[in-house]
Amino acid sequence: MKSNRTTLRIVIGLFLTVALVFFLFPVLWMFLTSFKTQDQIFASPPVIIPPRDQWNLDNYIGALTGSGGLQAVRDSLIVSISTALISVGVGSLAAYSLARYRLGGDQFSFWILSTRMFPPVASAIPLFLIFRQLKWIDTYWALILCNTIFNLPFAIWLLKGFIEDLPVELEESALIDGTSVFGAFWRITLPLISPGLVTALLFTFVFTWNEFMFALLMTRRAVRPLTVMIQSLAGGHEILWAQIAASGVIAIIPGILLVIFLQRYIVRGLTMGALKY
Amino acid sequence: MFRIRFSFVLFTTFVLLLGAVVLAQDAPQPLGITEFEPCQPFDNVTVTVVGDAGHNLAPYDFWKDDFAAMGITIEIVEVPFADVYQKLKTEFVGQTGAFDVVTFYPAYIGDFASNGYLLPLDEFMAREPAAVWDPHQDDVLAPFRELYNKFGGQTYALTIDGDVLVLMYRQDLFDNADEQAAFKEKYGKDLMPPETWDDWLQVAEFFTRKAGDTLAGETLTEDFYGASEFAKRSFSYAWFMNRAASAGVVYFDENMNPRINEPGAVAGLQNMMDTLKFAPPDVLNSGYDELRDLFIQGRTAMVVQWTDVPKKAADPTQSKIAGKVGVGRVPGTEVNGEVVHRSMMPVGRVVAVAADSDVPEAAYCVAKHIAYNRSLEDVSTSLTGLDPYRQSHLDHPEAFAALMGEENAAAYLAGLNQALADGFPDIFIPGSAQYQDALDLEVNRALSGEITAQEALDNVAAKWNEITDTLGRENQVAVWQQALESYRALGLIE
Amino acid sequence: MALLFVLPAVLLLLSLTIYPLIRTLALSVVQLELSVSPNEKFVGLTNFIKVLTGDSRFWNAMGNTAVLVVVGVAIQLVLGMTLALMAQQMGRGRTIWVTLFLIPIMIAPVVSGFQFRVIFNDTFGPLNYIIEKLTNGVIQPPAWTANPDTSLLTIMMTDVWQWAPFMMLLILAGLESISPELLEAAKVDGANAWQLFWRIKLPLLMSVIIIGLLIRMMDTFKTFDLVVLLTNGGPGDSSETIAYYTYLNGFQFFSMGYTAAMAFIQLIVIIIISRVFLSIQKRQRGADE
Repeated sequence: MKSNRTTLRIVIGLFLTVALVFFLFPVLWMFLTSFKTQDQIFASPPVIIPPRDQWNLDNYIGALTGSGGLQAVRDSLIVSISTALISVGVGSLAAYSLARYRLGGDQFSFWILSTRMFPPVASAIPLFLIFRQLKWIDTYWALILCNTIFNLPFAIWLLKGFIEDLPVELEESALIDGTSVFGAFWRITLPLISPGLVTALLFTFVFTWNEFMFALLMTRRAVRPLTVMIQSLAGGHEILWAQIAASGVIAIIPGILLVIFLQRYIVRGLTMGALKY
Repeated sequence: MFRIRFSFVLFTTFVLLLGAVVLAQDAPQPLGITEFEPCQPFDNVTVTVVGDAGHNLAPYDFWKDDFAAMGITIEIVEVPFADVYQKLKTEFVGQTGAFDVVTFYPAYIGDFASNGYLLPLDEFMAREPAAVWDPHQDDVLAPFRELYNKFGGQTYALTIDGDVLVLMYRQDLFDNADEQAAFKEKYGKDLMPPETWDDWLQVAEFFTRKAGDTLAGETLTEDFYGASEFAKRSFSYAWFMNRAASAGVVYFDENMNPRINEPGAVAGLQNMMDTLKFAPPDVLNSGYDELRDLFIQGRTAMVVQWTDVPKKAADPTQSKIAGKVGVGRVPGTEVNGEVVHRSMMPVGRVVAVAADSDVPEAAYCVAKHIAYNRSLEDVSTSLTGLDPYRQSHLDHPEAFAALMGEENAAAYLAGLNQALADGFPDIFIPGSAQYQDALDLEVNRALSGEITAQEALDNVAAKWNEITDTLGRENQVAVWQQALESYRALGLIE
Repeated sequence: MALLFVLPAVLLLLSLTIYPLIRTLALSVVQLELSVSPNEKFVGLTNFIKVLTGDSRFWNAMGNTAVLVVVGVAIQLVLGMTLALMAQQMGRGRTIWVTLFLIPIMIAPVVSGFQFRVIFNDTFGPLNYIIEKLTNGVIQPPAWTANPDTSLLTIMMTDVWQWAPFMMLLILAGLESISPELLEAAKVDGANAWQLFWRIKLPLLMSVIIIGLLIRMMDTFKTFDLVVLLTNGGPGDSSETIAYYTYLNGFQFFSMGYTAAMAFIQLIVIIIISRVFLSIQKRQRGADE
């Protein structure tokens, strides 16, 4: 039995490795590109691995200092973390209410979801006008709120699914013991849906981190997120490919750290999940 | 937990380290050729400048001491190249008053000026003393001045970047005796850089070889192509218009009936479609970068490109064909026994003063300083991507000597002068984005083999009429007739 | 209490969506061409009629988008599911696998678009170079992005590359919360791996799958950045998506009325699709209980 399992793991491991090669090749390509010079980007035959003496941080330094990359990392972090926290915080409360009390029924839940469906091109200018009235253009708030509109429905629906799958008896017994509704939510429900919370946090962060259209429209100078800064490296005549790749490498670091950090909670979900059914 | 904190510390250190490195910003030295006097000092005003991100905004940094002396602090807002119109238009529509000096592509001048977003500059330009206020528009080359700065007879913008297309070819291949003999035998005439678009097609066919064939005495290890085209959606219309305009086709007639499906235009599009047979397989998704690199890596014999490419082709660190490049007029079309050449002028940049600026006078001073006072310095340095646009730029090859050597500079400027004399504008009346997109889409459909040249251009004509009707025919006809006046002034039409 | 819980979310969403919604609705019945004038002209349903009956480009873009949504997202689901099931078998080591697979999601489309533009390039890119080397030139791959037959495929492949891991993580999180006792009990009853998957796991995963599919469909419907960076919708109109065409109308032509009508039609289409999905899920649930 035991050796059977090991064989199975080796076979699956092989499959996963092959898949991983496909998924990581573009990432590797980006990493290699970040060490190339401009004339190696379009070379024929392609330069796959740049020569050894080029393995320096010039493109990274260029992207971070020459083009405002440091500010961009900071701005994107602030916007993405805030959006993720607001979406998951507000979203988990709403999800609890929708899942447990079926407030407003299916129609109401669907309305919430539908706010993510609206084509952003159509809502961009009205939102721009709202934030102009509030004098919030070129502030973090404008971007955080715009991203929240699109991420909150996702968070609510994802968490709603997780809460619905929890047996209600646990909360009921806590309530009988005299815990408040919020207490039951906070101490019983939230820990039990931690895999869901973590997934929601991770993806709302990533969706915001990668968002471009609102980042462009709602900012000017004081706030300049990474996507706008990276897009700015593509001039009309001079696309700074290597700097774009270097910025891309820098831009995945927070995400990867977040995954490593949140992984533990997903894993913990394994033991928690035992409570289901 | 340790692992996480460790990686976080690593990352933070990494970021801090990078932050500690301060890059020395270069700036060109004042040349002292252009004579001007700065504006009298303002009382510490801030002028917000917006433009496409990157090295074309560098001049505001080069001359910040000049601006400081005028009592002006510059704040720069950088917008990605592709999104300038979208961003500016949204801010204008929202009446935010966020910008004082706006940089944009002159195709939008009709839109911006007619909607009242820009301040007419004539009053500033006429002020005394002239050394302070006069931007010497008479020195600006006619196509840029007449087509890209004015709207409705008033000047709204000042050119800061002169874009025009030129022909580039492999001089060494055209000079090769074996190739010359082979060409003569096949076509019965001498091998020369193409004078007409028909010649272009022949030369393109002639130089297209498979790997293993011989080219100028050497065996090819990779396929070689006679020509390439900007056939990617976005500017493919301009490469088509090089042909159509040289056959005498203007976008519309006096009453704004589309002329784009006239026989000359259809033949031009067919010529471009035929060229694709002699172009690399990627040609339908080739933009500026791909075209440039295919050429400077020695994969194509000819290409029509913007005027900054010859500079790159001459640089041996970037180019495999340094010293083998010829630059000439974009091919033309024979009309009544005479070959007419037309070079499209896509993109380019102008600066203007926003109508809702709080500090219009200071904003004008900034615009004029960039567009005239320091313009020679800005177009003759490798630190920007700005191209010459004034007679005084063309008259001073010595300013370009540091960049490319005096002899090359003289040849480069002479080529530019020629190309600009052939200059033909984008559509620049309001709605230009729509007209251009409709043209580009249909041209591209024809290039990809979806429809024929005639069908494509008939579609464009129909679509253009629809656009004109939607935008308001009466008004559009009026602005178009004004535009035709400038065409006439330049001799582009009878 | 229930109301209090849901209030912050409702206030946030209402305050930020009600004005855009009303404004768009109002715009959809007027003609407003900002490139020539800020004046609106009431035209009734003309915009809708024009989009639906007179705009072949709209339908071409819808068709391309449908391919991305149906085929692309289906591939993401199957691939994500397979990877999740496999990763789950890897015991404690699965966290490393998941981390590695998630990297593509972290790369913004504005970055990955530039990478894939080079990767897919026939002359300069590594993909065709490697294919030709590996097969010794027997396979001559197409010029992916420059070929009208494959240009849409490149956008789909890039989207799959980026988002199959999203499906993987969602489904893995779902798998992790299935009680091991339940599976044990089924095994004791003699269920084989195949039955375990179809009878136990899949039904329990349905809610995460549905939300994943819905989110991916909505987002794929908005595919825009990749189009701009890879093909500009070309060659011809072979890879023009509805989001790109809407963007052109809204942010290049500034035909606000027409854009609004187009946006509403898209909204209705997405709502219908989502409704269908949710009703399937509901029936499924009903059948289970």
